[in-house]
Amino acid sequence: MKRWAWLWLLWWPLGLSAADEALDQVMRALAAVPTVKAVFREEKTLAILQEPLVSSGVLTYRAPAYLRKQTLRPQPEEYEADEHWLTVETPTDGRRQFDLNGYPQLRPFVEAIRATQAGDRATLERHYRLDFQGTPAEWSLRLTPREPGFARYLTAIVIRGRAAWIDSVETLEADGDRSLMTVSPR
Amino acid sequence: MNSLPSGGVPASEKKNRHRGWIPLVWLLAALGCGWIVATTPVTADLTVFVPRADPVADLLLEQLRSGPTTRLILVGLAGDSEAARATASRRLAENLRDNKLFARVANGADALPETELQALFAHRYRLSPTVAPERFTAEGLRAALEQRLRELQSPLAVLQKRWLPGDPTGELLTLLRVWRGGVGEPAKRLGVWFSPDGARALLLAETRASGYDLAGQREAVAAIRAGFAAAGVGTGVTVTMSGPGVLATLAEDQISAEAELRSTLAMAAMVLILIGVYRSPRTVWAGALPMLAALLAGAAAVDLLFGKMYMITLAFSVTLLGETLDYPTYLFSHRRAGETVEETQRQLWPTLRLCAATTLLGCLAMITPDFPGLSQLGVFTIAGIAAAVATARWLLPALLPPDWAPPRPGEVGAWADWLLEPRPKLALAFGALGLLLLAALIIRAPPLWEDNIAALSPVPRQLLQLDQELRAALGAPEVGRLIVITAPDAETALRHGERVAAWLDARQAEGALDGYDGPMRYLPSQQTQWQRQAQLPAPETLAAHLATATMELPFKPGLFQPFLDAVAAARTAPPLRPEDLRGTLLGARVDALLLAGARGWTALLPLSGVRDARALIADLPQTADSQAYYLDLRAETSRLVADFRDTALLRFGWGAALIVAVVWIGLRSWRGVAAALLPVLLALVVVVAALLALGERLSLFHLVSLLLVLGIGVDYGLFFSRPGTDPAARRRTLHALLVCCGSALTVFALLSTSALPALHAIGLTVSLGVVASFAAALALARPLLTRMS
Repeated sequence: MKRWAWLWLLWWPLGLSAADEALDQVMRALAAVPTVKAVFREEKTLAILQEPLVSSGVLTYRAPAYLRKQTLRPQPEEYEADEHWLTVETPTDGRRQFDLNGYPQLRPFVEAIRATQAGDRATLERHYRLDFQGTPAEWSLRLTPREPGFARYLTAIVIRGRAAWIDSVETLEADGDRSLMTVSPR
Repeated sequence: MNSLPSGGVPASEKKNRHRGWIPLVWLLAALGCGWIVATTPVTADLTVFVPRADPVADLLLEQLRSGPTTRLILVGLAGDSEAARATASRRLAENLRDNKLFARVANGADALPETELQALFAHRYRLSPTVAPERFTAEGLRAALEQRLRELQSPLAVLQKRWLPGDPTGELLTLLRVWRGGVGEPAKRLGVWFSPDGARALLLAETRASGYDLAGQREAVAAIRAGFAAAGVGTGVTVTMSGPGVLATLAEDQISAEAELRSTLAMAAMVLILIGVYRSPRTVWAGALPMLAALLAGAAAVDLLFGKMYMITLAFSVTLLGETLDYPTYLFSHRRAGETVEETQRQLWPTLRLCAATTLLGCLAMITPDFPGLSQLGVFTIAGIAAAVATARWLLPALLPPDWAPPRPGEVGAWADWLLEPRPKLALAFGALGLLLLAALIIRAPPLWEDNIAALSPVPRQLLQLDQELRAALGAPEVGRLIVITAPDAETALRHGERVAAWLDARQAEGALDGYDGPMRYLPSQQTQWQRQAQLPAPETLAAHLATATMELPFKPGLFQPFLDAVAAARTAPPLRPEDLRGTLLGARVDALLLAGARGWTALLPLSGVRDARALIADLPQTADSQAYYLDLRAETSRLVADFRDTALLRFGWGAALIVAVVWIGLRSWRGVAAALLPVLLALVVVVAALLALGERLSLFHLVSLLLVLGIGVDYGLFFSRPGTDPAARRRTLHALLVCCGSALTVFALLSTSALPALHAIGLTVSLGVVASFAAALALARPLLTRMS
């Protein structure tokens, strides 16, 4: 893995291009956003199910490191990431707190959305390879996991947006399952 | 035996020359002893100071030697930042997890490896405690499936959904909860275990080797150090380790280092004293011969009788040096012109052999089959003293030129006469002081005895403290409280364990304890497994229930075929036995808690946070074929130590009576007996008072040392009260005793600076005793003789 990282570093300066500058521009725009309140609708398509699982709820973000995903339908559930703490609350298991530093398999999930919204490119780069397409006005960012252990579960996360607004987050799992979360202002 | 040394018969030169065979015999004996010593192993075993006199003691020793808690190495990572400590902990755990030396490495962040997960998954219907008939009805399945569906909605489902088709009732999750449970877990920071104050990241490594397999423990300690060297590189994090095995290896290192250092220092001090006092190099080798004889004979006797020598005995041997130098010293100081060496020695002999006899009798009290550690010390001392005194009596006169005398023997000036002048009033004052102290000791009665076995351990106190700190922080089962079940076979032990576990659950709910562990948590008895199998529905029934349960749920048709197959297979699968788990982490955990022994099987249920021991002992469930005991190792060992001490005190009493008898036989005068023994009794009272005033609690080592003081003090009393000699002779005696006292004080003061509790206790007690005995004998012996005559 290390060797590949080095190869990539060698290759990387060549990739410095217009796309790279556009990504920086989007990151700066996102970083300037202090709070976000939005509603989401998520559709999960799983191989084991005949029909997609649909859920909806509220997203809250506060710069630089607070993100809450509050599902309201079909049943309440809450995920709250603050710094390196992840709090999960479900009706069956109650409230549980995890330290993200101790759960390397959870952290990239959280950072995909939180670090993108925070415009924190360095954190994103630590967990993913970034592939930016489009223009600062209308863009898509494909995150491919660097860690092989994580890549076993996840193929990529594709985030689409317009300027400083994230429109959707699409998760592509390694077994072909996928989920699409669309976000709209509240 | 009854003649007083009032002049002696002049020995002929001829007789002296015929004694050429003595050095030869001595040399052969020394070589023989040396060979025995060289071919006998030296072992460090902390349990040798646990007495063996009780049925529970056997269980106890087995636990102390090889119980699961002795295999734990507690690792603390301190220094640098919290994040650095957590990272080092994670890396160290990763480095050690694949190591064959360890059965388990845990730091709180442990995810089970894939193969172990697969093993748990494969055996889920036999192992999971939540398997019950209602789980497999249409309603039960429906509830489980709805729950699974909710879980699928979670963003974390990606990590778990692969188990769903085979395990819709979630038995694997139950098993993982069991795996992580057991005895309480420490607090987590940054995802790994930390001490409550956050100062130390904590890891627990369970070795495959027993805690007393020192070679294995050494390897494990080295592996942890190496793992840490890689994990902590570039940070300021430091590693500390503890646990019975680590302590044992450290004790071994410490004892050999201490014993070596202190015997070297003591040797050097002896040589300096001899040269300084007698200004003759000949005294150095002549003085060293009895010492050498004592060491060789003592070690050889121990090796022959016990087959091995304990480290602590070796360390103790240094104390012999202090005593055996006395014998040649008496000779050197009593030499005078116009008398052969043989003549001088013969004059001294009645007193000398009384001295030796009293010491030997005192040491007899230490020999008891119940206490191998103490017996070794006794045998060592007896053989050593006998060899030393024989060497001084017969080898030295045979080796030294008949007319040899050290350049300045007995040349003590007028101050000696002043010192020797009898002072009855001072003697009375001394006696009164002794009575006062004795009265004070009896009235105030401070905590006299140390019953904590840890105080007897050769491990330095600060290490024991570290061990306790780490243990408390980790919530690791103390090496202490557990329920032991003995049964003829594994199955009976597991069944009994299950009964006790059900009972313990109730006690836990009442708050009598915090938690427990046990083999039945991980491997249910075959009986329980059969019961579980019997509860699994027939394939057709299950398929029908599942069809009802999945109605209107969005699962794909046929998705749960693996579940139907697994349940069908589990209905006829043979129950798992301990040997089926060999080589897995699960097996390692069961092996540590379920042991096959010579008298059947033992299941161990370590307890944590025991608050109400009495409630635990009161009605522990018993069965017809197996027994359950509650064992508090610390209380049990303390009780055994106290018991032993009482018997030891009694034996020492008999030893003292024997000493009185021997002195009476030697002197045939009660006045003489009083003059020889009263000073040392006074000295013993003073020493005990001084020790208590210094805040020491008396342990067995103090007791042994008091015995040594008795031996040395009787010598002083005997020599000071030698009647009928002229003032010049008395001056020579004073000279001899000053040298003896000075050298003994040097050696034992050296010992008292040792960090090892045992050596410190011996050193302190004997140094105090030597000074007190000397002063008391000087002040009391003559007045007692003259006053009473």
